[in-house]
Amino acid sequence: MSATTDEPIAPARPGVLARLLREPAAAVSLLLVVLLIGAAVFAPVLAPTDPYDNDLSLAMQPPGSEGLPLGADAQGRNMVTRVLFGLRVSLLMGFAAVVLGGGLGALLGFLAAFYHRWLDGPIMRLMDMLLSFPAILVGLAIAAVFGPGIFSVVLALSVATVPLMARIVRGSAMVVMRLDYIEAARATGMTDARLIWRHLAPNCLSAIFVFATLRFGQVILLGSALSFLGLGAQPPVPELGAMASEGRNFLFFAPHITVVPCVVIFIIVLAFNVLGDALRDALDPRLRV
Amino acid sequence: MLRHALQRLILAIPVMFGVLLFGFLLMQVVPTDPATVRAGPTATPDIIAAIRADLGLDEPLYKQFGLYLWRLAQGDLGASIINNVPVSQELGGAIGPTLELMFASLFWSIPLGILLGTLAGYWRGSLIDRLIMAFSVAGVSVPVFFLGLVLIWFVGFKWQLLPFTGRGGPLWTWDGIQAIILPALTLGGVFVGPVARMTRTAVLDVLSADHVRTARAKGLTERVVVVRHALRNALVPVVTLIGLQIGFLLGGAVVTETVFSWPGIGRLAVSAILSTDFPMAQGTIIVLSVGFIVINLVVDVLYAALDPRIRSA
Repeated sequence: MSATTDEPIAPARPGVLARLLREPAAAVSLLLVVLLIGAAVFAPVLAPTDPYDNDLSLAMQPPGSEGLPLGADAQGRNMVTRVLFGLRVSLLMGFAAVVLGGGLGALLGFLAAFYHRWLDGPIMRLMDMLLSFPAILVGLAIAAVFGPGIFSVVLALSVATVPLMARIVRGSAMVVMRLDYIEAARATGMTDARLIWRHLAPNCLSAIFVFATLRFGQVILLGSALSFLGLGAQPPVPELGAMASEGRNFLFFAPHITVVPCVVIFIIVLAFNVLGDALRDALDPRLRV
Repeated sequence: MLRHALQRLILAIPVMFGVLLFGFLLMQVVPTDPATVRAGPTATPDIIAAIRADLGLDEPLYKQFGLYLWRLAQGDLGASIINNVPVSQELGGAIGPTLELMFASLFWSIPLGILLGTLAGYWRGSLIDRLIMAFSVAGVSVPVFFLGLVLIWFVGFKWQLLPFTGRGGPLWTWDGIQAIILPALTLGGVFVGPVARMTRTAVLDVLSADHVRTARAKGLTERVVVVRHALRNALVPVVTLIGLQIGFLLGGAVVTETVFSWPGIGRLAVSAILSTDFPMAQGTIIVLSVGFIVINLVVDVLYAALDPRIRSA
């Protein structure tokens, strides 16, 4: 988790993808992200079995056994299937949190920048307050109120994302607000909502996109930790953190049950972190150090 | 300086109030009635009513909130639903181990992170830099529990070198030290990366500054230039950034405590929530939040003390 930057990020210029792909690590991480998302989307087609199908005679079969490249878990469920569906659940949770929390945060950021005179103070103070709670605490508190479950985790991750996105978008939007063309657009008599949507938002898109990519990795990591603690997805739902937690009891006899989901989480988060860093460099070379 | 500290303190008050209000409301929305729980399964309705009156549960909400704050001020956080032990007593026993674990983790991860970050910044663009940065990104991407489980599996189980469940005793005993090694390696392990990264950025900033060029021009040895002139100035932002990452560390601590059955607040909080022991959950969340706010406050004031430029901002 890197420190959040408030620096505005310049609007995208053509050739971003080309600049991104020049860096081998970025190209590999982009490929990984595409593959992971593809695997999650097509899990029902790709999976050899049903994620809840168990065959106790296969329980704890090690990876490489016949028909079980990643082995079987303690209930004798095919780990390939579990991982594919686990990817689906984990990525979906992260996606929901980044879209919901990021969306609300971006909206608040735009409002704070656009109605700077009277909304900036209240909105940003509220965001500061929210920021003073680490995500894990938000997760614990929400799980205490609503009970453990996927809903609680998504809500907690969304709430923890709102203030971060609000700060990024506000910073970026404040820069755009000072530009002449906003004044020009305003002079044509556009409504505020249209002005924000058509002229302000598009120019903050790269900042939003970079932050969302980096945040996605963090959210996956946090979400899997909450599920690992038992506060998120509940067994037998295939979710990577919950799977790692289930496998913990068999660590000494069948380590693959916990190691496989852990490695998959690691790969997802690593891919998004590297891609996010590379995107930032590609979109704004000034920030490159 | 004092003014800055006071300003920060005043800003923290509404946040603190919000935490307490949240803690109070938490008990209002949960589906169990404390009076019924306390009365036990065989209680008659009038006994429950008497307990309700005794606990102040039939008062209006704002009065209950006042009563709650009053009890809190006296250190009364209620009692566990599960075993009726006072929450404050359980918390009192759990704060020490959590702080112990956090300090033990920072004790090795911060120096190592600063060392790696300085090396990477100094040899910017070299293979060493790339390796250290790759390690750093990997470090922030690895789930804490994965690191913990790998250590348990190899060091604890396969090689039988160190214990991996619970706290072995006070830190001045051999058992105590042995037991904290694996948890501290786990929690510190995810912290080295961020510290290295922050240090590298700060060192890069400072190395191009005029006073460093002057120091070089004076003919000082490279070691003196880096350690005395560059690193010392780079450390100011690093200290603050480390402070800001305490929340991240706290999150890691909750998971680490659970993996290693370390008897700290994080584990207490998780088990209270899982067993729907609401007074205990409420108490742990309040203590964790207040602790976090206080740490932030201290870091903030410390930063102003280290860097006079901040005070006026």
